Amino acid sequence: MKKYLAYILTVMTIVVFGLALNVSAEEGITDTEIHVGQWGPQTGPAAPWGAVARGTDAYFKMINAEGGIHGRKIIHHYFDDAYNPAKTKAGVKQLQEDIGMFAWVSGVGTAPGLAVKDYLMDKKILWVGPSAGSRHWLEPPNKYLFNTYPLYLGDAELLTKYAVEKQGLKKVAVVYQNDDYGKQGLEGCQHELKKQGLELAIGLAVNVADVDMKPHIMKLKKSKAEAVLLFVGPGHVARLQGTGKAMKFEPQWMTSTTSGDHPLMMYITKGLYAGTISSAFGLMDPKVGTIQDFKNPTLPAMVKFYNDGYKKFAAKEERWGSTFAAGMGYVEPLVEALKRCGRDVTREKVVAELEKIQNFKSSMGNVSYKPFDANDPLCRIGQQEVFLLRAEPDGTSTVLTDWYKTEYIPSSH
Amino acid sequence: MIEFLQMVLSGIAVGSSYALMGLGMVLIYKASEVPNFVQGEMALLPVFIAFMMLTSYNIPYYIAFPATLIFAFLLGCFLEFGILRRAKEPNVLGLIIITIGMEMMLLGFVSWKFGADQRAMPFPISSYDSIIIGDIFISTLDMLTLVVALVIMLSMFLFFRFSKMGVAMKATQMNENAAALMGIKTKQIRMVAWGISSAVGSVAGLLMAPILVEPYMMWDPMLKGFSGAVVGGMTSLPGAVFGAYIVGIVEHLFGGYVSLEFKSVVAFVIIVIVLCIKPSGLFARHYVKKV
Repeated sequence: MKKYLAYILTVMTIVVFGLALNVSAEEGITDTEIHVGQWGPQTGPAAPWGAVARGTDAYFKMINAEGGIHGRKIIHHYFDDAYNPAKTKAGVKQLQEDIGMFAWVSGVGTAPGLAVKDYLMDKKILWVGPSAGSRHWLEPPNKYLFNTYPLYLGDAELLTKYAVEKQGLKKVAVVYQNDDYGKQGLEGCQHELKKQGLELAIGLAVNVADVDMKPHIMKLKKSKAEAVLLFVGPGHVARLQGTGKAMKFEPQWMTSTTSGDHPLMMYITKGLYAGTISSAFGLMDPKVGTIQDFKNPTLPAMVKFYNDGYKKFAAKEERWGSTFAAGMGYVEPLVEALKRCGRDVTREKVVAELEKIQNFKSSMGNVSYKPFDANDPLCRIGQQEVFLLRAEPDGTSTVLTDWYKTEYIPSSH
Repeated sequence: MIEFLQMVLSGIAVGSSYALMGLGMVLIYKASEVPNFVQGEMALLPVFIAFMMLTSYNIPYYIAFPATLIFAFLLGCFLEFGILRRAKEPNVLGLIIITIGMEMMLLGFVSWKFGADQRAMPFPISSYDSIIIGDIFISTLDMLTLVVALVIMLSMFLFFRFSKMGVAMKATQMNENAAALMGIKTKQIRMVAWGISSAVGSVAGLLMAPILVEPYMMWDPMLKGFSGAVVGGMTSLPGAVFGAYIVGIVEHLFGGYVSLEFKSVVAFVIIVIVLCIKPSGLFARHYVKKV
């Protein structure tokens, strides 16, 4: 009897101590590991943007190869959600509840992000650098959600300003993807045009599945648009420019950051992209008038990532492009905050360290946060600056503007 | 007026691609009595094979394109012989599910093998040049698509009318048992129908590829071709062609005069209207099965 009692007491002691240890430990972090989750489309129509997750993966592997962060390796769990919000939600819940992520990073797309935002915020799980320049991440601000991607509204604002003020083009049109991304481009353009005392020449919606752009070009021609802002994906940019060329409509094309990978765009448009002006949020040092070759990076952080991350850890077929490199940019603030935390890492401490970040020179410009204020969306915006590039026929880019701090346009505007 | 004519012409141009996809679907529907949802991917894989031949192996067009069509033919034959024929006494629903499964397999294979990135396909003519008639434009690629579509339609008409294989195919489609009793190898005929359908769809794919090559490039044309085939009648080859042109033209007029936002769905609205008014389609005979 005494023997059984001893067994039971031993088992109970182990269970109680085990539970106590589990309660005190932070979810997703051990003495040697930090578990970080990410979603991204590896299949489906949005799959070209899946390079973001692969870029983040190579970046984390580079950090691990250098010893990790204060002795801890980053265990990166990323899954293919095919840009389907239902799959995003299922995948995030599964990884969070089965393995337990310390934090989530990036995550391509507004709709997939919106599908899990409340879940993550309700559980007070850190999410850094959503890979979409959406106002949804800031309105209302959330204590655990830190944005790094400049808003699409700002892209449209600067592009419009440049077309009107520098190029003297008064008839500005927008072709926008029929979703939150595209509509924010339309809104940003309209906002800037109003400030300039002008009206939009025409705004045309494109559905993701549309392949025939002739009706769009006909309407653009009719509107006599001199500059056309394209807030669509790279494929639609290629189709619009190709159809425009065939129909003898060649305005000043302008694109958002999402179609700003100049070498890729030059290739898929068979050169038609030359002369197109695109917004950019970093990955290079924008000195006005200089020629930048994305294939040969010069920014120190990018050079290092190219040599120690991309070359060593990316798959053979992986193309070095801005989408892949941005995978590093979105997560740099988290890595910086983890470094600042030292060995003693909790979510609350990481939040506190992120809030202290001021003018942090990431590969995507200067990142700053502020202490959490439920009434101030800018406390979590991170980065508000963009600049403009012009695509050159050889795939290089000419820097047209310096960093420009864009205006925050609240949705109630 | 110019605007209207331009829209109609653009509708005809895009309708030619839909027509080729629709023709492929009707061929298979007549042979296997199944709406073929793998039609798009039966064209997609050959397009990527052509892309690989042209860019990785620098094979000239005059070899790469015919080789692609032969590959497409064999792919169609394989899908029928290797997969569809293995299904044991399947009903229509079962067959549809099999075609959807094959669609996912081929799409998955293309995405895995070639990746998700968009690509530019080399092509003998520029996809950005155009012919101008007065104030109306048509791109040279659209013109080529239109001509190729017409040539294929004429060839198919002649094939079914005058060739032994074509007549055997028609006989099989009309009454498989009677055809078998007459000595026609009906299983072989069905396999060949899948092969031809795949090759016809691949022609459409090759003509769309110069604009952009990507794994999902055939999804929309497949749906529009299917819409055209339903509108014209799933058992009528000329019907599928006319239906596809109707879809292309209405889509453009709707996009031009009503709403660009809902342009993509107009094809499906047409399907619903036609199915309500004439369920067998505009150009197909309405068969009543005696029981």
